[in-house]
Amino acid sequence: MPEEMIAIENINKKFGDTEVLKDLNGKVEKGQVICVIGPSGGGKSTFLRCLNMLEQPTSGKIMFENSDLTSLNESQINQLREKMGMVFQSFNLFSNMTVVENVKLAPIKVKKMSNDDAQKLALKLLAQVGLAEKADDYPASLSGGQQQRVAIARALAMNPDVMLFDEPTSALDPEMVGEVLKVMQDLANEGMTMVVVTHEMGFAKNVADEVWFMDGGVFAEKGTPDQIFEHPQNERTQDFLAKILEA
Amino acid sequence: MKKIMSWLMLVVTLSVALLGGFAQPSHAATTGTEDSLARVKAKGTLVMGTSPDYPPYEFLVNRGGKERVVGMDVDIAKKIAKDLGVKLVIKQMDFDSLLVALETNKVDMVISGMSPTPARKKSVDFSKVYYKGGQSIIINKADKGLYKDKDSFENKSLGAQTGSIQYNLGKKQIKGSKMKGLAKISDLILALKSHKAEGVIMETPSAQAYVDNDPDLAMINGKFDLGSGENDTAIGFKKGSTSLVNAVNKSVDEITQKKLTKTYLKDAGTYMKTNTHNTSMWHYSGYFLKGVEYTLLITIISVFFGILLGILFALMRLSKMKLVHALGVVYIEFVRGTPLMIQVMFVYFGIGLFINIPALIAGIIAVSLNSAAYVAEIIRGGINSVAKGQTEAARSLGLSQRQTFQSVVFPQALKNIWPALGNEFVSLIKESSIVSIIGVTDLIYQLKAVQTATYKGVIPIVVAMIIYFILTFSLSKVLNHYERKMKHDA
Ligand SMILES: Nc1ncnc2c1ncn2[C@@H]1O[C@H](COP(=O)(O)OP(=O)(O)O)[C@@H](O)[C@H]1O
Ligand SMILES: [Mg+2]
Repeated sequence: MPEEMIAIENINKKFGDTEVLKDLNGKVEKGQVICVIGPSGGGKSTFLRCLNMLEQPTSGKIMFENSDLTSLNESQINQLREKMGMVFQSFNLFSNMTVVENVKLAPIKVKKMSNDDAQKLALKLLAQVGLAEKADDYPASLSGGQQQRVAIARALAMNPDVMLFDEPTSALDPEMVGEVLKVMQDLANEGMTMVVVTHEMGFAKNVADEVWFMDGGVFAEKGTPDQIFEHPQNERTQDFLAKILEA
Repeated sequence: MKKIMSWLMLVVTLSVALLGGFAQPSHAATTGTEDSLARVKAKGTLVMGTSPDYPPYEFLVNRGGKERVVGMDVDIAKKIAKDLGVKLVIKQMDFDSLLVALETNKVDMVISGMSPTPARKKSVDFSKVYYKGGQSIIINKADKGLYKDKDSFENKSLGAQTGSIQYNLGKKQIKGSKMKGLAKISDLILALKSHKAEGVIMETPSAQAYVDNDPDLAMINGKFDLGSGENDTAIGFKKGSTSLVNAVNKSVDEITQKKLTKTYLKDAGTYMKTNTHNTSMWHYSGYFLKGVEYTLLITIISVFFGILLGILFALMRLSKMKLVHALGVVYIEFVRGTPLMIQVMFVYFGIGLFINIPALIAGIIAVSLNSAAYVAEIIRGGINSVAKGQTEAARSLGLSQRQTFQSVVFPQALKNIWPALGNEFVSLIKESSIVSIIGVTDLIYQLKAVQTATYKGVIPIVVAMIIYFILTFSLSKVLNHYERKMKHDA
């Protein structure tokens, strides 16, 4: 019996008068990797940001580990966010801190971990993403791929139950995409639950359990990688894939 | 020195009147028995307000590096205090501020060569006249043959203190005169020497003092038509202080009978001679040092509170709570929209109505509150300059809004605004000089004290200028060092 981790129920999101997300539904089970694909402007980032309440949905529910995120107060949301790591397209490493300080910050501030423990944990995670030797450098001196791997380590430091990725490789030079995808694939292999917005169709094909195709604020089609990539039913999915494969 | 209310005083009086509308000062004599004399006796001190830049009435002397207020008016005040059996306390401030100080109970009486003009009598009670001066005109000695009396100055430019009786006399009684108004006599003398003005109208005893101490100057009798009061000098009191005025009048009567002012003026003359005995700037280094000490004290404390309050107001302005946001906006815009000079006077005299704050503290409060508004805008700019993704990353890790601000946003904002903050500190060193108007002995105040004491106009200015430059330049260097260090770190 698969264990449900996130349930999205009738989510709507408006920015002013424009409706960006329209009545979204979906389920993420423990250990699953969901890849969200679709054309730019379709609402993928907004959807992902709703999952950890960086955006407040206009209506609908998001159930996460038996609580409805949309009904929680500020400090309860902070507690649940610890369990949802997020990785951004633009890395967003704290520029005023060294690499290891970036990773240690949340364990110390939020989990009240001692500096020694946090340091050990951070070094272990940096080793895991292959960057132990960069611990004392500042983010500005790292390449994009290295920064994104630090960002992943930083999110993992809170020992999250689920990881959210918003186009983690889109801002990278092509030669650095592989090192980041490799780290993500390793995570998936270890059983991490992941929701990944991506344009890397290869990654979606190989790693995803389910692919959700999003366009115009709705999930136009959902299915296994095989269904979506080999036998797309929806016209918009077919158009999108045709354009992607051309390029 | 017979100034009429200047615009500054008007503004302060207005704001004081406004405040007075909310609450009457508790110790103001409002109804029933008038207790001004009893109050002075009860507290055992008689506080005299004066502007000591007007020899021989009142001026500063250098006693072993320490300054003291002396002159005829001080001798008179000492006699009055003695007659009343209380201790004399002298409070120095700009002439502009004297009447407000009376009104706000900062001083019990004003003796500062002040004339009991009809306009002043409306808001102040005066003692009997203790001295009758005349009006003279100081000229450059080289021009001595050119000028006889006021009529020689037709269509010429003449100097007098801004808003003073001399200024009005020149304007009304000399045809086509071009009047130049400056606040300080020492500045007027400078203007005379550089021929920005051909003569300076001044009361005879003062004119005499300047001529005696400066071989390049000469004086002539102005031969003005002097109405009632304009020639006289009396002591000012808060309106309605009948018992105190009556008591002081007894001393004034005795001074007149015994012709004591003659002795007092002679004493003043002696002081002035010793004063000009040694006019090297080195001899007055104690003055400048004290000025530096106060300027630095005010600046450092104001920077500290300016930053604390600046952060607070910046956060208020950035707040999503409408009321808090509005308060932040109103404070910042209001403070930035009014001159620091008025804020200083408002704090000292206006707020001073309710709590008696010393001039130094009032100056620090005003400068801190003023700086806070500018720092708030700098900080707000700094906070806005931190990329939104930094906040989102921190929040996504579970950090609270407060933790995010402390650990991520503020340190980055600080780095971005360090140069702008540095500029603010440097300019605070210069701008804090405005507190001299309420008698805080900062560098500018001391500069004027040295000018008055030495009868030298330019050299003290040069000394103060160099000191200010050394202060601001070394502070800039220190700040630059830290800026480079911060850049290197990240
Ligand atoms: N903060 C916002 N305010 C207004 N409109 C927004 C905001 N964020 C996103 N949008 C709009 O919502 C739509 C979906 O954006 P987004 O979720 O970023 O799409 P995607 O990630 O699929 O490219 C776009 O039309 C975008 O302009
Ligand atoms: Mg996006």
